[in-house]
Amino acid sequence: MTVHAETLAVPGGRVSRGSREAWIGLGLLLPAAVLVFAFTLFPVGYNLWLGFQAKHALRPTTAWVGLENYVQILQDTDFWRSVWVGTVYAVWSTVLQIGTGVAGALILHRRFPGCDFLRGVALFPYMIPTVIAVFVWRWLMNDLYGVVPYILSALHIPGMPEAWLAHGTIMLVLIAVSVWTFFPFVLVNVLARLQTIPPELYDAARVDGASPLRQFVHVTLPQLRNVLLIVVLLRGIWMFTKFEVPWLLGFGGGAGEAIRTLPVFTYQRSFTYYQAGMGAALSNVMFALLLAVVTIYLVAFPPDVEEQDA
Amino acid sequence: MRSARPTAAGAATLAWGLRLGLFVFCAFPLYWMVVSSFKASPELLASPPTFFPHEWELRAYRKLFYETNFWTYFQNTVVVAGLTTLLVLVAGTIGAYSLTRYRYPGRAAVARTMLLAYMFPPIILMVPLFLLARNLGLTNSRIGLALTYISFALPYALWILRAFFQSIPLDLEHAALIDGANRAQALLHVVAPLALPGMIATAIFTFIVAWNDFLFALVLIGVDELKTLPVGVNDFFHMAVVDWGLIMAAGVMVTIPALVFFIAVQRYLIAGWGAGGLKG
Repeated sequence: MTVHAETLAVPGGRVSRGSREAWIGLGLLLPAAVLVFAFTLFPVGYNLWLGFQAKHALRPTTAWVGLENYVQILQDTDFWRSVWVGTVYAVWSTVLQIGTGVAGALILHRRFPGCDFLRGVALFPYMIPTVIAVFVWRWLMNDLYGVVPYILSALHIPGMPEAWLAHGTIMLVLIAVSVWTFFPFVLVNVLARLQTIPPELYDAARVDGASPLRQFVHVTLPQLRNVLLIVVLLRGIWMFTKFEVPWLLGFGGGAGEAIRTLPVFTYQRSFTYYQAGMGAALSNVMFALLLAVVTIYLVAFPPDVEEQDA
Repeated sequence: MRSARPTAAGAATLAWGLRLGLFVFCAFPLYWMVVSSFKASPELLASPPTFFPHEWELRAYRKLFYETNFWTYFQNTVVVAGLTTLLVLVAGTIGAYSLTRYRYPGRAAVARTMLLAYMFPPIILMVPLFLLARNLGLTNSRIGLALTYISFALPYALWILRAFFQSIPLDLEHAALIDGANRAQALLHVVAPLALPGMIATAIFTFIVAWNDFLFALVLIGVDELKTLPVGVNDFFHMAVVDWGLIMAAGVMVTIPALVFFIAVQRYLIAGWGAGGLKG
C-alpha cells in the first residue's frame, strides 16, 4: 500500500523515487547474481590462479610454479594431438549438424499429415540424456552384435570395417552420435526462423521463374543468415568443449586415444593423474583458444544486431 | 512449366521419402533401445539380429530393480533435479521480475552477462569447482551438486523469464497496485500466472539439465549411495560381463521421465524453443 503504481519502472519513467526502488530491485536480483557469481564467474578467476600452481587433486599440497604448467603443455605432443583431434571432431560434427538440422527444418517446414508428430519425433534425440544416447550407439555399432554393421554387411556395401569402435573408425562413430544427438538444436532454431519468412518473397521469386534450388539460395539462405551464424557459434563452442560423448564412447572400449579431445585430455590430467594445477592450466588454454576463435569469427561474420533479437 | 505434372508427382514422392528418412534416423535408435531391453538373452545376441522380438521378457528390468542400485540412483537424481528446478524457479522469477520492473544502473549489463554465461562451456569450471567444493565440504553432497546445476541453469532461466516478463503489460500490475495489492501480491497473482508458460518452459529446461548431466556428477560424487543416474548407469559397464539388455533397460527407464515431461508440456516448450534452446 505504501508502494504506488507510478513507482513501477516504466521505460523512461520517474527516476526521483528511484533510489529505494533500485535497492529493492537489486535485492531481488541478489540470489541469482550471488549463485552465478559464486559458481561461474569466481571459479573462472580462481582457475587463472590455479594454473600457476602444482597442485594434487586430492592431497592438500600446493606449490607456486609460475608458467611451468604452460611451458609443459606447449611442449607436450599429446596436448597438440588432443587439440587437433578435438578440432577435427568439433568442425565435422558442427558442419554435419548444421546440414542435417537445416535439411530437417526444410522437411518439416510446410505442413503435411503427421507433421506435428514428426516434429516431436525429431526432437527425441535431443531430449534423451546424452549418456543414454552414447550407450545406445555403442550397442548399435557393437563389433559382434551391432545392428548397423549387420545391415551394412547385408547390403553388401564394400569397404566396411570389421569393427567400428576400433582406432581407425571410432572418430566416424563419435561424429555420427554427436550429429544424431545435437542436430535437433539446429533444426528447432532454423525451423522457428523459417516460419517467419514472408511467403511473398517466394511468390516473387516464383514469378521470376526461379527453381526451388535458386529460391533456397537466394531467398531462404539470406533470411537464415543470422540464425545460422549464431547456431554455428554455439554448436562450435559446445562441440569443442564436449566431454561426455568422447569419454563415454571411447573409454569403455579401449580405442579412446583416437578420440582423446582436449576436454578428455584435460579431465585425464586433472583426475586420472591428479594434476589439478595442470588441469586448470589446460582449461585456461582451452578458454583462450575458444576466445581467439570466437573473436575471429565475430569479426569475420559480424551478426546483424537489428534482427538478432527474434 | 512444360513438365509441371510429372515433376509435382516426383516432388511429392521425394518429400515423403525425405520425411521417412528423417523419421527412421531419429526413431530407429530409440526403437532399438526399447526392443533390446525386452529381448531374451540368446535372442539379444543372435546373429542376424531380429528386428521384432520373437519373445518378450522382463528379465532385464527385474535385474535392474532387484540386483542393482538403480532405485537409489533414481531417487538421488529426482532429489538433485527437483531441488535445482525449485531454486532456479524462485531465484529466476524474482530476478527476472527485478530486471524488468525496477530501474537501477547495470541492469542491461546483467542481462548481457547472463547471455554470455549461457554460452559458457561448463568443462572449463571442472577443476576449480571440484577444488572449491572440496574445500567447502560440498563433494559427495547432493546439495553441492544441485548448487552447481543451479548456477548453470540460472543464466538461461533469467534470460527466458525476462523475455516473458517484458511481454506482460505493466498496466495490469498498475491496476492491481491501485486496487491495494502490494508488489509481492502483484507478482504472485498477476505476473506469474501470465508468465506461466515461460516458467514451465524454464522448469523443464532446468530439470533436464540436472537430469542429464554427467560431468559434474562424475567429478563431485564419489560414493555409490549418492550417485545420480548417468554416472550410476555408466558403472554397469564395469560388470564382469557387459549386460546389454540391462543397459538398454536402464536407458529406457532414464529416458522415460525426461520424455514424459517433455511431451506433457510440449506446447509450452515451443515458446521456449523459439527463445533459444537448451544448452547441451
